[in-house]
Amino acid sequence: MIASSSAMIRERVRQIETMPAIPAVFVPLLKMLGSSTEEVRVDEVVRLVSYDNTIAAQCLRVAGSPLFGLAQSPKSVKGAVISLGLRRVETILLTCCLGQAFPAEKWALDPDVFWKHSLGCAMVCRKFSEKLSAVDGEKAYMAGLLHDLGFMVNCLVFSREFAAATERACREEIPLYEAEHAIMGFTHCETGQALAEKWKLADDITEVISCHHAVEHSRKAQPLVALVHLSDLLCRMRGLGYGYYERHKVDLVSDPAWSVLLKEHCDLEGVDLARFTFELDEAVEEIHALVSTVFGSSPART
Amino acid sequence: MTIAPQPAVAAPAPIKGSEAVDPVYRQIRDLVYKVSGIYKAEEKLYLLADGCGRRMKQVGARTPREYWNHLTVQSGRDGELRHLLNEITIGETSLFRSQPQLDALRKVILPEIVADKARQITKRLRIWSAGCSTGEESYTLAMNMLEESDRLLQGWTVEIVATDLNDHSVETAKAGIYGDYALRSTADYFRRKYFSTVDQKKLQVLPEVKKMITFSRLNLQDDSRMLGMKGMDLIFCCNVLIYFDGASKSKVIHQFFSSLNCGGYFFLGTSESLMNVNEHFHLVHFPGTIAYWKPSVNGGKL
Repeated sequence: MIASSSAMIRERVRQIETMPAIPAVFVPLLKMLGSSTEEVRVDEVVRLVSYDNTIAAQCLRVAGSPLFGLAQSPKSVKGAVISLGLRRVETILLTCCLGQAFPAEKWALDPDVFWKHSLGCAMVCRKFSEKLSAVDGEKAYMAGLLHDLGFMVNCLVFSREFAAATERACREEIPLYEAEHAIMGFTHCETGQALAEKWKLADDITEVISCHHAVEHSRKAQPLVALVHLSDLLCRMRGLGYGYYERHKVDLVSDPAWSVLLKEHCDLEGVDLARFTFELDEAVEEIHALVSTVFGSSPART
Repeated sequence: MTIAPQPAVAAPAPIKGSEAVDPVYRQIRDLVYKVSGIYKAEEKLYLLADGCGRRMKQVGARTPREYWNHLTVQSGRDGELRHLLNEITIGETSLFRSQPQLDALRKVILPEIVADKARQITKRLRIWSAGCSTGEESYTLAMNMLEESDRLLQGWTVEIVATDLNDHSVETAKAGIYGDYALRSTADYFRRKYFSTVDQKKLQVLPEVKKMITFSRLNLQDDSRMLGMKGMDLIFCCNVLIYFDGASKSKVIHQFFSSLNCGGYFFLGTSESLMNVNEHFHLVHFPGTIAYWKPSVNGGKL
């Protein structure tokens, strides 16, 4: 991306005064997710969430989804923390906050489709990380959830150009980032990076946002970026893409991201990709159901 | 514009009481996957349970646990497993059974093969339907190729070789007469264009479709005949490999690999996989479907 375009994006993103309707708990939550896991902060999370009944209710609905594997839905945020662990509840809360961050009328991309892809990618990242030793599953989930943040910026700040890009991607059945590049001259990777910097997201998450379509440009968090890149591809091939047919052949094992991940995690070699794909299909329906209830057209925001 | 939230693949079937499924069926599902590469997803477990139920009556097992013993510890367990595999794959044959496979074929693979062969003087595409049963898959492929005959495949000769071990199936296939059940996924457009009416309940494939296909009896374990099956661009082999055990399965897959041209594709049934039986094939993803690819001469770089 040329420097002037980069500066222009930063300036436009800076001018977004506040994210419309973003729940107050969001920023402190992000800060907490960035801090060390040893710190005791259960009460702090419960206190924060208690300010926003909608977020608390949504958190419990998400935590009760079969995707999280609890036999019974938790009755309180504290109960969810006890059953699922603090970090998982924090990432669930983050999911709910993001779900309310943008008003429907601003979307050039169907929000339902966007959330299915983002939540789907988050789940796949975590599922993938379970197959590999020494990968932080919740970090992987968060990276998957936020990787396409730039689409939100595009909807808000570059809505006309982005609408043209989505229209072209749909019509030509090409990846959305290719259409963005052709029409806008930059992609959601750059706009997402600008927002990530404004929100002071952790460096590794920022790099996921800026490099998930070009893993080779990643410097500080290449394995995490590679994990998200592969999960993103898999989602787009298994009904969790952007709602249109992408004329695309994906050879995950030949993808450079696979080699990056393999260098770090030799247990990747033993992953049965076909079975992993079939298992992912099982989660697709749950993800669709969850998105419809939590981020659906009539959210229970009171 | 707004991208419509249409699914890239067919919407998954509703869950039918998967929570009530006896956990033993998950063990059986894993066993079936281990020996056949066929994966019954969580929402399809009830189908597996139905198949097991029919077999349980036959062998006199009173509980799923008892039936598990029939499959794993009692004498004749291999035979019983074969019966079960037959039971769960029965009735899967119909025309236009897998739309994602056909989409991948027409939207991604054919353009790739046509481009690859652009410099060849003879424009010829060879497809093998291995284990063609009563011909549904072969005719589906033929009709889809005919649809491309004045577009992508203009000036091309398409040959479809369809083989099956069973003489009776081959004869039925040659007749090309199908009832409602086999035609349940066939759109009116194709019914009108490529079929004639036999009676109120049956349609017959038109001669122009039939003439693209050569039906014959072939035993996939007949090495000398298999050696003659060369120069294929695409091989479809749906729910056939279940009939082979470990060593003979590897041999057959190796034969398929040899039969394919470089850059050719090998398709299995929708929930079927090779697992890691042949490491020379690359597992590749297309929207909603997977296939095995014999890398091009350039070493498999995409």
